[in-house]
Amino acid sequence: MEMNAIEKLAAIKELVEFMVGKSIARDREQLYEALAKRENLESTGIGEGIAIPHARTDAVDDLVLIFARSSSGIDFSSIDGKPSHIIFLIASPENKKSEYIIALAKLSRLLRRMPVREQLKNASNPQEVLEIIKKNEE
Amino acid sequence: MEFPRILLFIVDNTDQQIFTPAIQLCKFFKSQLFVLFVLEEHRISKLASITHEHIDSIKQRIEEEGWEMLYLVEDEAVENGVRTSLHMENGLVTRVIRRYLENYKINLILIKKREETKKIFVSSSIPVIGL
Repeated sequence: MEMNAIEKLAAIKELVEFMVGKSIARDREQLYEALAKRENLESTGIGEGIAIPHARTDAVDDLVLIFARSSSGIDFSSIDGKPSHIIFLIASPENKKSEYIIALAKLSRLLRRMPVREQLKNASNPQEVLEIIKKNEE
Repeated sequence: MEFPRILLFIVDNTDQQIFTPAIQLCKFFKSQLFVLFVLEEHRISKLASITHEHIDSIKQRIEEEGWEMLYLVEDEAVENGVRTSLHMENGLVTRVIRRYLENYKINLILIKKREETKKIFVSSSIPVIGL
């Protein structure tokens, strides 16, 4: 999805609305609260134009990964001060901690690679995003 | 005594036993926790020569395990309301730590006591606690 928000909490709200609208999440308030709690403790903007907002919450029934982009960039208070153009949101139920940690670890490893970031920035559809992840996961 | 910024240095998954005391210490001192994992090329090469595994596979596995450790700390820290930032770096441990002390104005280092971390006790310019 292409995002309109320009600031991190507004971006999280927009992602939450998207997830509720698509019935990916059940409880709007619960999901937003969990993601905002994590975000307020320390930014999930990891630099190089990437943000990975994430939380464990029973507002979702299964592990969820949402990919979004912002051409203008979102201020995630990233460590390098740069706006985030690629946003991966990860949410999982409380009882799926292991899968949640593994998903975050795999994604973080992939996103440290500049070619992967560039490919994701230029991907033209969701299928292409999945292919980029799969290809680089091997 | 105040420690606004504490660095927790992680070597491998046996360090999990020090996560809780490290987080509780940060909670007590209301400190910001910097969690650091360093990918050391020479250690990876050494491992590759011993196991005959491809160097890229080892690198990938170690990096992923490192991220898992980082996110495990973060998960527990968030539950305890401790401000935490995660850091994955390439390089030599002592050099990376020295850079962190300067760039982030770290006041205290927490590490698990072991053979590989002895050099940090010796070379650090700030207090180091071995847990």
